[in-house]
Amino acid sequence: MAADGVARRFGSQVALAPTSIQVRAGETLALIGPNGAGKSTLLAILAGALAPSSGRVTAAEPPRRIGWVPQRAGLYGRLSARENLVLFAKLEGVAEVPVAVEGLLRLVALPDDRKPASELSGGNLQRLNLAIALLGAPDLLLLDEPTAALDPTQRHALWAVASDVRERGGAVVFATQNLEELERVADRVAVLLGGKLVFDGPIAEYKRSPEADVFA
Amino acid sequence: MISRIGVLLGKDVRILRRSPFLLASLVLYPLAIALLVGLVARFANDRPRVAFVDLDGLPEVLSVGGEDFNVDKVLRQVRAEVDLIPLSQEEADHRLANGEVVAQIIVPRGFASRLRGMVQSPTLILRATRGGLSGRVERQTEALVFNLNRLLQKSYIEANLEYVDLIRKGGEGSFLGNDVSIVGLERAGEILAEIERDTDDPEIAAKAKDLRDFVREALLALDQSGSSLRAVANPIELRFEDEERRGFLLTAQVQAYALALTLAFLCILIAAAGIAAERDENVIGRLTRGLVRLGELIAEKIGLAALLGLVFGLCLALVFSAALALGGVSGQPWSRLPLLAVGLVLGGAAFGAFGVFLGVLAREARTASLVALLVALPIVLLGFLPEASVAPAAWVSNAFPFAHSVRLFESSLYDLSPWGTVAREAVWLVGLLAVFAAGARLGVRRLLT
Repeated sequence: MAADGVARRFGSQVALAPTSIQVRAGETLALIGPNGAGKSTLLAILAGALAPSSGRVTAAEPPRRIGWVPQRAGLYGRLSARENLVLFAKLEGVAEVPVAVEGLLRLVALPDDRKPASELSGGNLQRLNLAIALLGAPDLLLLDEPTAALDPTQRHALWAVASDVRERGGAVVFATQNLEELERVADRVAVLLGGKLVFDGPIAEYKRSPEADVFA
Repeated sequence: MISRIGVLLGKDVRILRRSPFLLASLVLYPLAIALLVGLVARFANDRPRVAFVDLDGLPEVLSVGGEDFNVDKVLRQVRAEVDLIPLSQEEADHRLANGEVVAQIIVPRGFASRLRGMVQSPTLILRATRGGLSGRVERQTEALVFNLNRLLQKSYIEANLEYVDLIRKGGEGSFLGNDVSIVGLERAGEILAEIERDTDDPEIAAKAKDLRDFVREALLALDQSGSSLRAVANPIELRFEDEERRGFLLTAQVQAYALALTLAFLCILIAAAGIAAERDENVIGRLTRGLVRLGELIAEKIGLAALLGLVFGLCLALVFSAALALGGVSGQPWSRLPLLAVGLVLGGAAFGAFGVFLGVLAREARTASLVALLVALPIVLLGFLPEASVAPAAWVSNAFPFAHSVRLFESSLYDLSPWGTVAREAVWLVGLLAVFAAGARLGVRRLLT
C-alpha cells in the first residue's frame, strides 16, 4: 500500500501535511511523534476511514484486507462483545460467523457474557477493538496506540497476533509513543512532527538520527 | 446492500429494545403533548374576560310584552361563554386599554324602555380591540344577542298576536302606552250584516256587503298571522342534537394529530440521535471504510424511523379503534388500518429523513437529541395552526412532514373517498423524504471528522 502526497485539513487546521509513505509486505512500521503529530490521521486515511483532503492511497495488487484498530475503540457500547463481533462479522461478509466469532473470543481471551461493551474494562475493550479488526483475516493491520490500556500479558498477546499477520505475508503499521515497544517490534520507523513526515527509515538508522534524540 | 442495511437495522432495534424507558418516553411524551395541546386548544381562553357596562341600570326583572325576564338569569347564560365583569364605563375603558379585558359589552341608556316599547330595536354595543381574542368575543357576543333575540321573539310574537286578537275580537287594550277601546273585526262584520239586512237603501246595502266581504277576508288573513309571524321570526330554525358516543378525544382530527405528533417526536429524535451516535461510538469510520456506504447508513436510519413509526403508530391506531368499537361508534376504522399503515411508513420515513439531516448537522448524539426536540416542537405547533387563519404558518408547515402526515392520517381513517388526499399527501411526504435525505447525504461527511 502506498500513500501518495496524502494531506488532511480540518477547517483551517492542517492535521497532516502532504505525506508519501509505503507499507511493504512482511514489515512492521512504527509511526511515532508527539500528540497531534498526525499519526492517527495518517492511519485513518490508510484504513479508508477518513478521506484525504488531497493526495491518494494506492492499494496493493491484488487488494489486501485491512484491519483497523482505532485509538478509541470503535464499537457499540450497548451490545456485548459477542454481539459486536457477530455484527461486524456479518458486515465483513465472513462466511462462518459463529466459528469466526468463537475463534476470536478465544484468541483475545475475552469473557463471553452478556455484559455491554461499555461496561468492559479498558483492557478488555481494547482487546474487543482488536478482535473486530481481525474479523476479516486482514493482511494489513493498522494499530493506533494499541497497547495504551493493556497490561504486559495482554501486550504480549497483541504482538503475537500482529506477528502472526506479518508471518502470513501481511504487514503491521502501528502508532506509538512507547520507545521500548518501538525497538522491540518495529522494522521501520516513520516520524511525524506537526503533521509533517520528518523521518522514514529502518529502526537502526532511526536510532542514529537527530529525531531519535528528540524522543529519547 | 439490503442485507447490510438489515444487519444495521437489527442492531438498532436490539439496542432500542434494551432501552425500554427511552422508548416509553418517546411514545408517551408526544402523547402527553398531544393531549395538552388538544386541551389548550379546546379550553384555553374559553371564557375571555369581558367588561359589562350597564349604563341603563337594568332592573332585576324586565317585563317585555307581558312576559318577565330575569336579567340575572340571562347574564348567567352569557357567563358560561365569557367571564363577564360588571364595571363602570371609566374602569372598563381603563381595563380595555391595558388589556385586562378583551372587550366591553355596553348597555346604553334607554335600552330597557326601548325593549319594553317593542317598536324600535334597542342596541347593545360591543367594543373590542382588533386581533387576538376579539374575533372570538365578537362571535360569542353575536351568539349572546342571538340567544337574547330568541328569548325575546316569543314575547314579541305573543304581544303582536294579542294586538291581532284585539283587532279581531275588539275590546280594551294598550298600544304604545295608550289605552285603546276598539270594536273588532268580528263585531264590525256583525254590525255590517245588520246594516245590510235592515236598510231599505240598496246602495247602502251594497256598500255594507262590500265592507262585510272585506272584513271576512281580513279575518281569514289574520287567522294565519300567528304562524306567519313565527315563520318571519325564524325563516330557518336550528335544532340542536347531541352526538354523545364519540367524545372529543376520539374525533378523527384528534386521532390524526396524536398519530402525527407521536411520529414526529419519535422518528425525528431516534433518527437524529441514531446517526450521530454512530459517530459518538466511533464506529462510523469503521463502517464506512468499505463495510457500509454512507448512503446506506442514512437509508438504514430512515428505515428505522419508518419501522418505529409503523409499529407504534399502528399500536396507537389499534387503541383508538378498540376504544371506538367499545363505545359502539359506527364506522370504526379497522378496515382502514392497511391504508393507514402505508401512511405511517411514509410519515415515519419523512420524519426520519429530517431527523437524520438534523443529526448530521449536530454531529453529537446529545446535541442532536436536543436540537431534534427543539426543532420538532415548533414544527408540530405550526401544524396545529388553522391553514385558513394563518397562511404564512401554513406555508412553512408545508415544508415539513407534520401537516402532510395529519392530513394523510385523517383522510386514511375517515374520508369516504380518501384516495385523492392520500395520494397528494403521499407525494408530498415522498418529496420531503427525498429532499431531507439528499441534504443528509450532502452533510454526512461531517460525521467522519
